[in-house]
Amino acid sequence: MSDESANPADRTETATTVDTADAADTTETEADGGETLGGASSASTVASLQARWESARDRELTVIGLTIVGVSLFPYLFARAPVVSDLLQGYQELASLMLVWGIFAIGFDILLGRTGLLSFGHAALWGTGAYAAGWASANITTFPLLLVAIGVVTAVFLSVVLGWLSLRRGGIYFAILTLAFAQMIYYMASAPLAFITGGDNGLTGVEIGSLLGVFDLGTELPSVAGTLLGTWRYAFIGAFLVLSVTAIYRILNSPYGIVFQAIRENEQRAEFVGFNVWRYKLAAFVLSGTFAGLAGALFTIHGQYVPLSSLYWQTSGEVVIMTVLGGVGSLLGPLFGAGIYLWVEYIVSGGYPFDWIAPYWLLVLGLVFVTVVVLFPEGIWGLVGDLRDRVATRLEER
Amino acid sequence: MALLETQGLTKRFGGLTATDDVDLAIEEGERVSVIGPNGAGKTTLINQITRLLDPSEGDIVFKNESILQTEPHEVVQRGISKSFQTASIFPELTVEENAEIAALGAEHGSFRLNFFRHRNRYGGVSEATRRTLEAVSLWEQRDMEASALPYGDKRRLEIGIALASEPDLLLMDEPTAGMSPEETNATVSLIDEVQEDLGLTLVLIEHDMEIVFDFSDRIVVLNRGRVIAEGTPGEIQDDPDVQEAYLGGVEL
Ligand SMILES: Nc1ncnc2c1ncn2[C@@H]1O[C@H](COP(=O)(O)OP(=O)(O)OP(=O)(O)O)[C@@H](O)[C@H]1O
Ligand SMILES: [Mg+2]
Repeated sequence: MSDESANPADRTETATTVDTADAADTTETEADGGETLGGASSASTVASLQARWESARDRELTVIGLTIVGVSLFPYLFARAPVVSDLLQGYQELASLMLVWGIFAIGFDILLGRTGLLSFGHAALWGTGAYAAGWASANITTFPLLLVAIGVVTAVFLSVVLGWLSLRRGGIYFAILTLAFAQMIYYMASAPLAFITGGDNGLTGVEIGSLLGVFDLGTELPSVAGTLLGTWRYAFIGAFLVLSVTAIYRILNSPYGIVFQAIRENEQRAEFVGFNVWRYKLAAFVLSGTFAGLAGALFTIHGQYVPLSSLYWQTSGEVVIMTVLGGVGSLLGPLFGAGIYLWVEYIVSGGYPFDWIAPYWLLVLGLVFVTVVVLFPEGIWGLVGDLRDRVATRLEER
Repeated sequence: MALLETQGLTKRFGGLTATDDVDLAIEEGERVSVIGPNGAGKTTLINQITRLLDPSEGDIVFKNESILQTEPHEVVQRGISKSFQTASIFPELTVEENAEIAALGAEHGSFRLNFFRHRNRYGGVSEATRRTLEAVSLWEQRDMEASALPYGDKRRLEIGIALASEPDLLLMDEPTAGMSPEETNATVSLIDEVQEDLGLTLVLIEHDMEIVFDFSDRIVVLNRGRVIAEGTPGEIQDDPDVQEAYLGGVEL
């Protein structure tokens, strides 16, 4: 959605700028100097900027609107609609869980897809967000919004530290450093800090209060909303997903978006056009850590339990796989990656009608992953884009 | 006071002294060429000025301030920009985005906490992007992926990126290396034009003597890291030391 759907609007933008360019060209030949260039076109530049700004707003609203529609229809289709839900064997709580991991993955893609940095330690940020929210629910407050805030803030602090330490080195060393620090945190949580984390048993006794003191997250929403979305809990998580998509869309269209790309493409050149590359990398790390923490806190609110494995390296690996599966460098692709991963993990492994392959669900996942990566290097999102282009050209041929 | 001064600039790689006690003073608006045989230390000299390399000894003063402790991106922000010896571009981005990044770097500064602010709000950037691409005659190709450009165009884009950073001092490391004679001519006249239009101060490293003697106000000759001669093209042409050490006694 991000890049691809942006294009048509981009074209109208360039069309307006071409006009200004032509106008400027004629003035330039008359005056025979570069100086007039800026002045002659400044009025039309303001107009074209205005147009640019408006089309940017429109695109943003489209992305948000589509996300809201998708989030609203998904649990109905997945868990309740005739035929489709039977085929998919979906259920309400899995739909919620898919959104939680989806937030984790789209945030992770800021770092992996945009900036080109592979972190193998994001379990630390997700797990810390989850533990912070869980611990706070037992000791400070049970308000879901406050728990989310506590999880996010804790993860942000940790990502500043982890990023600051790990970004000393680039490439594979960065991946290894993040992995090492995350495993250190895992071992800390498993034994020395067991009095806080519950050690191997995970954090039990998590208690989630009602939203704004009124709505119990476990109850069903009224009327149509109940049919579509299901529970308050899903609506709560869904709202954060929409918020996350909006925030990330904004980030990608801010100067950060293009600086991240520049760093991914040619780090040295980015430094030599005047960007503080190190700080931008840290920013990418912290931004992705923010969403990891948010997702972690939502994971606690969703499951009302924090397993020790949420800090384990395997969790870091899972988010990498989800992101690559969905399509790196696409805004919404990783959501689909997360959905498919969890679907295989929970449904295929779960028995009927998949009893015959259930014990091999990891193998299934491996095959899906390899197939997608080999055939569609741009992930599921790339596949969707290809199909859309093909349909579009067919329609044009008519 | 000169725009840029190097004072006793020395860089050692192990036992090898790549630049040896180099004193340079470059005045505003000047065109200076640095010449010398392969391995003379020309690139090393430039890399110290852009702060890619730390000097072993000496100082670098730009606009009356030492930039010895300054990070590369900050040097760019102060007004020194460099075109690389090999085209250093952002390959998977479009030609327009390549120039846009550089223009954004100039207008926006090295870092800001503005991640919710739309890029379009930086109005001067699209203006500067267009101006730059027109200057290097790549405006027509703006929607192409940079990696798809022919070699000569990539080199011109490289120069465009350096220009879009809006430098006061532009350092060019062999901008015509690997170009065909036509491309070379086009590039030289391009450099000529932008230098005049923007009032740039230019330091050029170049092997092609014809270009050097045509182009320069002043020539600095390096040999084994040392400045062995310095002067106008005429003076350099007649300098026996230069002919002996650098040109191997061949008449110019
Ligand atoms: N990073 C480095 N480590 C060790 N030695 C180096 C390094 N960079 C350059 N040198 C050496 O320093 C000397 C000067 O190199 P430099 O690249 O500055 O020469 P140059 O004048 O640019 O040559 P050319 O005309 O071939 O580009 C050479 O002998 C080179 O081998
Ligand atoms: Mg060199």
